[in-house]
Amino acid sequence: MSRLELTNLTKHFGTQIAVDALDLTVESGQLVSLLGPSGCGKTTTLRLVSGFAAPDGGSITVAGKQVSATGIVVPPERREMSMIFQSYALWPHLTVAENVAYGLKLRRLPRAEIESRVRVLLETMQLTPYEQRYPAELSGGQQQRVGLARALIVEPKILLLDEPLSNLDANLREEMRHEIRRLHDRFHYTTIYVTHDQSEAMTTSDLIAVMKDGKIEQVGSPHDIYERPQTEFVARFIGSTNILRGRRTGEHIADCEGLSLACESGAFAPKGDAIISIRPHRILIGAPPAGTPGPNRAIGIVERAVYLGAQRHYIIKLDSGTRLQILASSDVVAQLNDRIGLTLPAEHCRALAR
Amino acid sequence: MSISVADTHGATRRLPAWLDPSLIILGLVGLFLAFLVLLPFGWLAVFSLTDEQGTFSFENFYELADPALFLGPFITTLGIAFGVGILACALAVPLAWLVSRTDVPLRRTLRGLIMTSFITPPFLGAVAWVLLAAPNSGLINQYYRIIFGAGPYDRFVNIFTAEGIIFVMASYAFPYVFVLAANTLDRMPHDMEEASAILGGSRWHTLRRVTFPMVLPALLAGFLIAFLQAMTQFGTPAILALPAGFHVLTTKIWSLFQFPPKTHLAAACAIPLLLVTIVLLRSEKWLLGRRGFTMIGGKTGAPQLTALGIWRYPALLAALFVIIVTVVLPNLVLIRASMLRTVSDSWSLDTITWDNVRLVFGLTHTWTTLENTLLVGLVAASLGTVFAVLIAYLNARRAVPGHRFLSFLATAPAAVPGIVLGVALFIGYTRPPFQLYGTLWILLLAFLTIEMPPAYQQLQAAFRGLNPELEDASRILGAGRLKSLTSIVAPLLKSSVAATWCFVFIGTIRELSATILLTTSNTKLVSVLIYDLNENGELGGIAVLGLVLMAITAIVVIAANRIANVGNVAAGR
Repeated sequence: MSRLELTNLTKHFGTQIAVDALDLTVESGQLVSLLGPSGCGKTTTLRLVSGFAAPDGGSITVAGKQVSATGIVVPPERREMSMIFQSYALWPHLTVAENVAYGLKLRRLPRAEIESRVRVLLETMQLTPYEQRYPAELSGGQQQRVGLARALIVEPKILLLDEPLSNLDANLREEMRHEIRRLHDRFHYTTIYVTHDQSEAMTTSDLIAVMKDGKIEQVGSPHDIYERPQTEFVARFIGSTNILRGRRTGEHIADCEGLSLACESGAFAPKGDAIISIRPHRILIGAPPAGTPGPNRAIGIVERAVYLGAQRHYIIKLDSGTRLQILASSDVVAQLNDRIGLTLPAEHCRALAR
Repeated sequence: MSISVADTHGATRRLPAWLDPSLIILGLVGLFLAFLVLLPFGWLAVFSLTDEQGTFSFENFYELADPALFLGPFITTLGIAFGVGILACALAVPLAWLVSRTDVPLRRTLRGLIMTSFITPPFLGAVAWVLLAAPNSGLINQYYRIIFGAGPYDRFVNIFTAEGIIFVMASYAFPYVFVLAANTLDRMPHDMEEASAILGGSRWHTLRRVTFPMVLPALLAGFLIAFLQAMTQFGTPAILALPAGFHVLTTKIWSLFQFPPKTHLAAACAIPLLLVTIVLLRSEKWLLGRRGFTMIGGKTGAPQLTALGIWRYPALLAALFVIIVTVVLPNLVLIRASMLRTVSDSWSLDTITWDNVRLVFGLTHTWTTLENTLLVGLVAASLGTVFAVLIAYLNARRAVPGHRFLSFLATAPAAVPGIVLGVALFIGYTRPPFQLYGTLWILLLAFLTIEMPPAYQQLQAAFRGLNPELEDASRILGAGRLKSLTSIVAPLLKSSVAATWCFVFIGTIRELSATILLTTSNTKLVSVLIYDLNENGELGGIAVLGLVLMAITAIVVIAANRIANVGNVAAGR
């Protein structure tokens, strides 16, 4: 377990910048997700950390020791890290037990110790019945657990996961998410988890680093990232949201085509448009107010109403033409084309810098 | 649990990156290869640019314009090589597809039969086809005259023609293409074909648009191997073209070494061959460069076989016909010749004799020759395979600077006819600091150089099909490059590695054109002994020695296939 620090990390491929002066600190024992759309540089960042790629600028330190810098790269085999691969990368010519024991054999542990440690870990991972099977004889979820066991058994300083669940079906993915978090709570390895799936990142991570175009857009706890996004990209990427654009009328207040919105958190950019995010389930539905609506209140027409069981999903068209998505409890019933009043509570309106 | 392990590993052993022991070993291999190839190439260049007195001159190249010396044989050579490449692919690809992807009966048997074709050295095949299809004495023509009652000089086929040479060469080149194509088809995950089928692609459309493009790298590599083999082969044209009264480049160059030798001119003749090869290799890169063919994943699945329906047995018959004509018939005629006192005798209990066997094994050198052949073959195959694996690895993983140059060096010897390489080695190793002439070492160096290109190309194709994550997983767990190569990559490529070893071994024990210039009476090899017998017209003796050579080869092939299959069973479960 070690602190991992990326400083000003940069990687080019030809003229393309894959990782752009990236700074990130992962405290010892923390699980940090790199979350972003494909092509945002998250996998390249992981390959830089693992030592499979050399940076063009900046440095990486593990427990205070530099492992990567321009021209100096400690090879992957001497980094004491482990990695889980998207393709699982289980060796088809070795049995489950041999796959898992591989890292320990490299460390020249006594045979008896290797055997007992493999047995204990396979037990923990519920893989004991499959010990003597070959990877091709296992289901996807079992293969994934073997991959995890193989990586965990060497007690790495840093654990790296590269989209580990993207090849699994939905149910299994759900289950493995919790499995990964459970194992992390148990072993507390310093972990980087690369994914493009926001709910995966929410379930597993201590901290989420949202990436875009080779840069980190925002780092924070899942709660932070969801409730206090700093940019439109982050607000949209994590969960669905309504984005409203308007003109700044004060430090924390903006006018969005007649709808005056006060925001209790966040900050606008000093210049340009004001951008505000409000989550669909934060908007309240009621009877239309008499007269002109006050601040953070609006009137609209129900354009679509969908019953989802636990909730109802509405699309409301405001007089200004703006459409808002709303998730309400299924008790809150509005009919198509009803004229209704909306409240956008200031404490849930988030001012965004860009 | 074991923090001490984590601490001793790495932190205290942290060396500068350039001191990485794997990289040093890999670097040394690179240097050795450079030496292996550059030394004879250097001599080739020096000789082509100097006259008999050693003075610098372009005179040799001016002489190439002479159609009788160079231009005529050069064009003939290219035409024949192209024909061989096309015919070899035309034979190999449908067979590979039948055997690997359809429910044709006897698939394993067909595969095995095609592999037996490797057993016959091409020059022995040429002798067999002389026995079969010479215009007058050829058995086919004799039976033709008997069956159709034609006149004494009428003939059905004549092997002493360009078409005959193309046919004989392709018969012995197509198994190489077959192996590459079949291996690729075996490894191709069926879901890619299913994906096409599900999108509405007909079977033919899928074959054409998905399967075929996926096999294309192996196919082109196969075409190249067949083409280059035909271009650089000496034995077959020496046996078939010279009696027909025309030259290909190799026989022309060989004739330049007859008294009085014109080695400088011969070196100049070899340069255009080298250029053609470079162009071919470049165009292969250009054709294949932009696609990533990563096909072995962590997941494998049983291949889905195409049902041929009523075409199952016609397909089997067609495959058997091809195999019987190219593989079985020549070997039968050799067996026949080994038992008869004279070739034109009919085959009956009265005429069968042990004379040929007695003659061959009565020769003083026969036993030493066999020993030499086996020793050099085993060492060259083992070393050559190790080098080819390392270089293919360096190239596939771009592991060291200059990997492209290494790749070029490994493929370049294919462009040098064995006979020219033989001369270069002769000059290079008869003077200090490496006086190796008269020892088996010079033969070992020759074979390593000659066999590097096919070995390297086959392994390179195999590496392209291996998901790099399998190796990354080993390295991140603490294995160095070399350790990952031996414990992960090599076992996964076991069948390709075994096939490569076979290629090199067989190539070595049948090599003639370089060997003939590099052996002495103490270091004679079987192929040279056969050549000596040919000079004396002892066709029966050739047949006996040829069969011995083929028996050795067969044993090696079967053994290597066993090893490869053990690996496949484990991996495919």
